[in-house]
Amino acid sequence: MSKLQQAIDNLHEADREAAKRSGKSRIHPVSRLCVCMAYIGIVVSFHKYDVTGLLGMSLFIIITGILEDLSFIRGFQRIKYILVFVVLLGAVNPFLDKGIVMQTGSIAVTGGMLSMITLLIKGILTVYCAYHMFMCTGIEQLCRALRCLKVPKGGVTVVLLIYRYIIVLLKEIQRMSLAYRLRAPGQKGIHIKAWGSFAGLLLLRSMERAQNVYDSMLLRGYDGEFRYEILGQEKTGKGLSIAYTAGWIGIFILLRCFPVVQMVGDMIISPGR
Amino acid sequence: MHMADALLAPAVAGTMYLCSGAATGYSIKKVRALNEPEKIPTMGVMGAFVFAAQMINFTIPGTGSSGHLCGGMLLSAILGPEAGFLTMIGVLLIQCLLFADGGILALGANVWNMAFYGCFLGGMVIWSRIMKKSMSKRKIMAASVIGCILTLQLGALSVSLETLASGVTELPFGIFVGVMQPIHLAIGLVEGLITASVLIFIYEARPEMLWQYESSGQTEGKFSRRKTLGILAVTALVIGGLFSLAASALPDGLEWSMEKVAGSAELTAAGEAYETAAKIQETTALLPDYGFKTGESAAGTSFSGIIGAVVVIGLCVLCCYTLKLFKRKKQKEEAA
Amino acid sequence: MVNLDHLTFTYDGNREVLSDISFHLKAGETVGLIGANGAGKSTLLKILTGLLTDYKGQVKLDGMDVNKKNLAAVREKTGYVFQDSESQLFLSTVYEDVAFGPRNYGYSEEEVQKKVMSALQQVHIEELKDRPIYRMSGGQKKLAAIATILSMEPEVILFDEPSVGLDPKNRRNLINIINRIGGLKIIASHDLDMIFDTCDKTILIEKGKLIFYGETAKILTDQRLLEESGLELPLSMQIRDGNRKINT
Repeated sequence: MSKLQQAIDNLHEADREAAKRSGKSRIHPVSRLCVCMAYIGIVVSFHKYDVTGLLGMSLFIIITGILEDLSFIRGFQRIKYILVFVVLLGAVNPFLDKGIVMQTGSIAVTGGMLSMITLLIKGILTVYCAYHMFMCTGIEQLCRALRCLKVPKGGVTVVLLIYRYIIVLLKEIQRMSLAYRLRAPGQKGIHIKAWGSFAGLLLLRSMERAQNVYDSMLLRGYDGEFRYEILGQEKTGKGLSIAYTAGWIGIFILLRCFPVVQMVGDMIISPGR
Repeated sequence: MHMADALLAPAVAGTMYLCSGAATGYSIKKVRALNEPEKIPTMGVMGAFVFAAQMINFTIPGTGSSGHLCGGMLLSAILGPEAGFLTMIGVLLIQCLLFADGGILALGANVWNMAFYGCFLGGMVIWSRIMKKSMSKRKIMAASVIGCILTLQLGALSVSLETLASGVTELPFGIFVGVMQPIHLAIGLVEGLITASVLIFIYEARPEMLWQYESSGQTEGKFSRRKTLGILAVTALVIGGLFSLAASALPDGLEWSMEKVAGSAELTAAGEAYETAAKIQETTALLPDYGFKTGESAAGTSFSGIIGAVVVIGLCVLCCYTLKLFKRKKQKEEAA
Repeated sequence: MVNLDHLTFTYDGNREVLSDISFHLKAGETVGLIGANGAGKSTLLKILTGLLTDYKGQVKLDGMDVNKKNLAAVREKTGYVFQDSESQLFLSTVYEDVAFGPRNYGYSEEEVQKKVMSALQQVHIEELKDRPIYRMSGGQKKLAAIATILSMEPEVILFDEPSVGLDPKNRRNLINIINRIGGLKIIASHDLDMIFDTCDKTILIEKGKLIFYGETAKILTDQRLLEESGLELPLSMQIRDGNRKINT
């Protein structure tokens, strides 16, 4: 099951990269989360014909990507998860929305063509933004941000535990399915007869593990209350974080409210006007 | 089923965040009231299990394709609906962060479409109604299949409505729903069967692990009619709200699809739809749209605009790399 | 320190896992607990830590009964190193995990830090302090799991199959560390060579019954008794015997 190996590799890679950056980052994870949410919200709020405005918004992705040394290729690989639905939906637009909205020489651009392009750009930008955000914070710092935003500790602990045990369980599935395939050559997946027992056994083992985790907590004095702090990032600067948040959100609003990119273009094409 | 951020307008995404947030608040209160300290590690490990189990390919006999199990239903059947719901949120959050499977802005919508229907409708209403008097293999099969089909149907309907209400597609309502629902009927059936076979395996091996196994022997069910009606009412309310939003965004589309059913309209009839949609978009959007002119430019898109974008992006890339170069130099100097 | 008198335990009310077990262990001893699969080793360890309390007979730890009422006090005195380190380490970094126990017992952050660092030093993994668990090798995880117990400074430490899955170098390192840790240690294992290298006394149980309790050297050289209990002579003994045969 190469999908499994790919998932495990992705997880390892993301984790390694995120750890590398979050250790150095001086910006508070809450700031990153806020900027990310604001960016995505503003990107999706652009009008469906506004290709130029969206291109202007790509500046954030490009700047963050270059300055934080993030791989654009890796980011692009993640887009495939949303691509199917977005492309399917976008691809029908040119056939349904045939109103001509723009004429450039002999090329007539229809509304549908533009809305297809904007949908794709929106898809790409939002995925990149989330990817960059995660790569700059990592799961621990993100959970720290959630704590700062008053998410209950139990909830944050559940997220941390899920993250902690995903790789453990994925590797278990990998071993199980290898054992399965070695005895069932030529089968692509799990046969219907083994549906229940394959996943069921894993589930039983997972529950057993959960019991062990709980026991090990009990033996170390757990009484239903979680006492741990998500540390790290002593270096985070308050001023810098506020400046980062305010600065970027200000730029987003500027790009959203005024056709900045358009104005630059107008100046280039007809400077005297 | 996971929705990307690009498919949602901020207003729709925000509404769905509110809906899911309310369900989350309720669940947190319930789980806290139960006061079972072993719940948290179990939720964590089970969340990881659901995440990992999505990677298992269950071959569907005779088709060559494969299916997955339904997380919401499975988690509710083991942890109970409230804890299951909270666990699903964790799973969806990590899925969107690590795999871009679903978006951060769309998280509220995804939680509603998958976790709420799966856990509250599938778990709290269907599972607990069917298991009220006793538990058996046949009942588990029935509950899983009915639960999965119903939750996926509602989830798919919500996806369609949310997308339409956001105005990102020109697709008429009739076609969209007409495509979404049957596909998800098939997926629901398969997911139901897979989930059922896992739960039946657990029932045979360790029945005490299943939610409400102990209480299922008693004739007096814990679950009141009022609660069932409550959940159904909330579901109906949200779907109704989405429906009216979608209908107002695409009134002609809706009309068109009805005419299509009657066999009189043509495809081009949806021409006006986008204008109405645009108006609604403009009034509901958080920020106004600028430069909406007809002719040379459309809502900001123009030849000069594209040129401007290319120049700005080019300049920006140049600046970034220069800045980085300086930074590196400085670091090197500091190191030396 | 640990006193068992006529301990009997049944699962689900019918399957007897331990029957009439009695032994007395003194502080500072290292005791091996051996027996074939399913002999009842894990159950015995769980009873000693208070994870299973509905037993018959008497189990005393430092003079107090191990029962539901004394659980908190019992757990403060005992530490349990799980066979699967993955289950023991559930927080994000080594530091956080090692600090989990002391924090639960209400120590101040300063004291917690002191305890954590001392525990990490005892197993020589100070440099892994901030390492996330999922980025560690099996050997490192085992040491970190032991550190999570040491930070609570227990008087009794129970090890469940500590050497499973470790390569020879890590296993040797583990043996050295176990030998350096103070307090009463009970090690349940199939790795008889390790038992031989660490334990003064050994308890052999078979099908829930105490077969032998005494000097490690005595039981681990008793081929007949070991084989009757489904075990074999430790490898080092076999080699020694082999050499003796060749020499004579």
